[in-house]
Amino acid sequence: MSEKWLYWFEELNAGQNDLVGKKCANLGEMTRLGMRIPPGFAVSVDGYERFMAETGAGEEIRGYVLEHMADLKSIKNQVKASETIRGIVESKEMPAGMREELYHYYEELRKRAGMEEIAVAVRSSGAVSMPGQMETYLNVRGREAVVRKVIEVWGSAFTTRAISFRLEKGMPVEKAPIGVAVLKMVEAKAAGVVLTVLPTTGDTSKVVVEGNWGLGESVVSGEINPDQFIVDKESGCVECTVNQKTKMIVYHDSGTKTCEVPEENQCKACVDTEELNEIVRIAKEVESYFQAPQDMEWVLDFTACCPENLYWVQARTAKYSKVEEKEAEYLAELMTRLF
Amino acid sequence: MKVYDEVPAFEFDPERDFKQSPYWFLDSAHSVPAWTPMFGWFWVNLCRHGMQYGAEKLSLPTIKGWDWRFHRGGGFWCVLQTKSEEEKKKRESRFRKAILPFIQDYDGLWDSYVKDMTGRYDKLKALDLDQASNIELLENFEDTINTCRRMWEIHMIMTYGTYIAYVLFESMCRELIGIDESSPLFQALVTNSDNKVFQVNRELWEFSKRAREEGLAEIFLQSKPSEIRERLEESARGKEFMKDFMTLMNRYGWRMKRMSEITMPSWLEDPTPPLISVRQFLKKEEKFDFGEQQAKLREQRLEAESCVLSKVPGEQRSWFKRLMVLAEKSGTFSEEHDLYLDLYMHALVRRCVLGLGRRFAAKGALAEPGDVFFLIPDEVRKAAINPDQFDLRHIVDRRKAKWQEWQDSPNPPVLLKKDFEMDEAVKLLIQSMDPLALKAVVGTMPQVRPEFKADLYGTCGSPGVAEGVARVIRNEEDLYLVQEGEILVAATTSPNWTPVFSMVKGVIVEQGAILCHAAVIGREYAIPVLMNVAGGCSKIRTGRRVKVDANLGVAFIMDS
Repeated sequence: MSEKWLYWFEELNAGQNDLVGKKCANLGEMTRLGMRIPPGFAVSVDGYERFMAETGAGEEIRGYVLEHMADLKSIKNQVKASETIRGIVESKEMPAGMREELYHYYEELRKRAGMEEIAVAVRSSGAVSMPGQMETYLNVRGREAVVRKVIEVWGSAFTTRAISFRLEKGMPVEKAPIGVAVLKMVEAKAAGVVLTVLPTTGDTSKVVVEGNWGLGESVVSGEINPDQFIVDKESGCVECTVNQKTKMIVYHDSGTKTCEVPEENQCKACVDTEELNEIVRIAKEVESYFQAPQDMEWVLDFTACCPENLYWVQARTAKYSKVEEKEAEYLAELMTRLF
Repeated sequence: MKVYDEVPAFEFDPERDFKQSPYWFLDSAHSVPAWTPMFGWFWVNLCRHGMQYGAEKLSLPTIKGWDWRFHRGGGFWCVLQTKSEEEKKKRESRFRKAILPFIQDYDGLWDSYVKDMTGRYDKLKALDLDQASNIELLENFEDTINTCRRMWEIHMIMTYGTYIAYVLFESMCRELIGIDESSPLFQALVTNSDNKVFQVNRELWEFSKRAREEGLAEIFLQSKPSEIRERLEESARGKEFMKDFMTLMNRYGWRMKRMSEITMPSWLEDPTPPLISVRQFLKKEEKFDFGEQQAKLREQRLEAESCVLSKVPGEQRSWFKRLMVLAEKSGTFSEEHDLYLDLYMHALVRRCVLGLGRRFAAKGALAEPGDVFFLIPDEVRKAAINPDQFDLRHIVDRRKAKWQEWQDSPNPPVLLKKDFEMDEAVKLLIQSMDPLALKAVVGTMPQVRPEFKADLYGTCGSPGVAEGVARVIRNEEDLYLVQEGEILVAATTSPNWTPVFSMVKGVIVEQGAILCHAAVIGREYAIPVLMNVAGGCSKIRTGRRVKVDANLGVAFIMDS
């Protein structure tokens, strides 16, 4: 087992999925690309394994699974197993050595950010992608809370689906290829996503930006009607749809809450032209670097000015309908009908 | 019993062949004037094979290619169609898959075919025909036949695939935006000058600029065309000029004055035709600029594209745009394929056949090398290994006499079964939905509209109106006579005619369809082209003023 289990993002790159999970490896790659991402560090898969070994949680889980193996075929029992295993993980304290190291990185992060007190997001970073399956904790403050949330993210690897998947494949149930990202929360004025392809048509000549006031989660979850800007990559021509945005997500204590958007802001675009241009400019650059349409998440910090206020928290290859293929088949069909 | 002479198995036999099809159209674009037996053999056998091969490989739902016959030096054809609904269904499901590569990666497909062919050409050229043994010569001949067969296979797969995309695009334009191929907007879309033919002409234009700069222009303008080369080589500067010019010919000179015959020298053997092109450019004003013209065309195309796209409903736009890009390639392809396929290949057929002719003449099998064009491959094989043992002169004498007769009394445009009318034949052709017949050969027949009181009626190949002095050209050799600002009148045109399109104000041709040479090049040079003008060459005389209104599909012969 490698001694080192904590890494600054700038120490990482896209090739290190297995070490720190996709999200962290990706944040590392983004840092290397020169994109502004919130400062932070990664907890590697080795960290998780060390925790499971040193606390005995791994052993306990193995025992539990062996005992209940016969019952684990039914969904009901899998749900129970998931709860139990999560309970086992979360009941453990962080081993003292690991705790000290985490404290140290958190303190260093505070210094790097130049703040007296720092709020961070603790996000899961699976090496195998299971979107929406693993937890993310926002607005986490204080070193003890950070330690707690890291353990909870580890626990969240034991979803019902993950358990049944590992059982089916004959993989050890207590092993989970999970990393954790700990990064500074951005004081979000507005946030959202940008795609360098129109996901519905597969039109790669356009960039679409969607955003809302507050944190990006409201846009990603699809609960509100965000502002939408469709920008032509070549001409820069913008098709702009400003929607009435009644709700937004903001920090609350050590988590988040949904609240009303102040009336004067509801029908106002959540990004200005300069900010929009900067978002599109960077998205296009990232796309051309990876040679593939990108799906990216951005945040505007209200404590800074454009372009220093633009932070990136995610960049991945966009998933969009395989219109190209379908279109070709459609054209072939039309040609057939000519005869 | 019919004695097969020139093209065994494919000579027209009215008794049997009218049972198969009530019409046989003359391929007037390629087989007028009449072919020699050797070239007729190559075309009828191998083009026929290529069409059926292409139709089968793509599994065209209702078309199985064309059948061909040889008759008095002419190629006559009819469309082969499927015979049952069941067969059509089966072919449809294969077609859907076979056409996909054209949609997914058209350029990749074409590039790989071009590479395949140029590789084969290089192999043929590698043999020094005059140093080769008799057996090597024969082998080169057999390889030439096989290469030519492959050329036609590729030619027809590409042509069918390309034209189908074009036909679909045109039909979608009618449906979604209410324009057809006669609309200037539509024509701006399929006008594309980014092709190899344009590039060759551009290089010839560069040579005309050099001739002007180096004081050689007078030689071009004052000499007889056939003497330009000789006169140039009298001076050191001219010699240098010709040396560089022949370097260009090594690359692009694998073509002949006539695309579909092998009796005339290639540009490499006799660069008079391209030298005439240089001379034509010298007659133009100095400020004429190729790059500018190309940029203008590109701009017009982009403008037309966005105009057309804006009329297409948003949810249809994506696939429509893709189809448009594909259809735009049809213009490029109809020009470029000649260069890489027909022109190049036939220049190589000439090279090899003439090499055999020289050998046969030296050994006494023939009186002179050119007589070999009056043989067919089986007769070549008969004498190839031991040409000193055979005398083939009697065959040549007989065929030459017939060939001369064909030259003197040309073929009719179509052979029809008794009581079968031309318009019925055209109707059958249109019903067949054969994209080649529709877009490159027959097109639509002109509408005679008495209200215009026109002297001649035709169809629009390239929009516009122009008036000028007529220049009737019946033979490519006379192309040098064309003067700036004239109206060109011809039966048909081919890539060798392209340079004069930059000089004339308008074009009238007796045949043609939207993707024929005259239409494609007319659009490139933005001059009106009126096609399918019946009897144009005889009704219009050189020197008369004519007015062409391609938009309305009419032409007027003005009072003198």
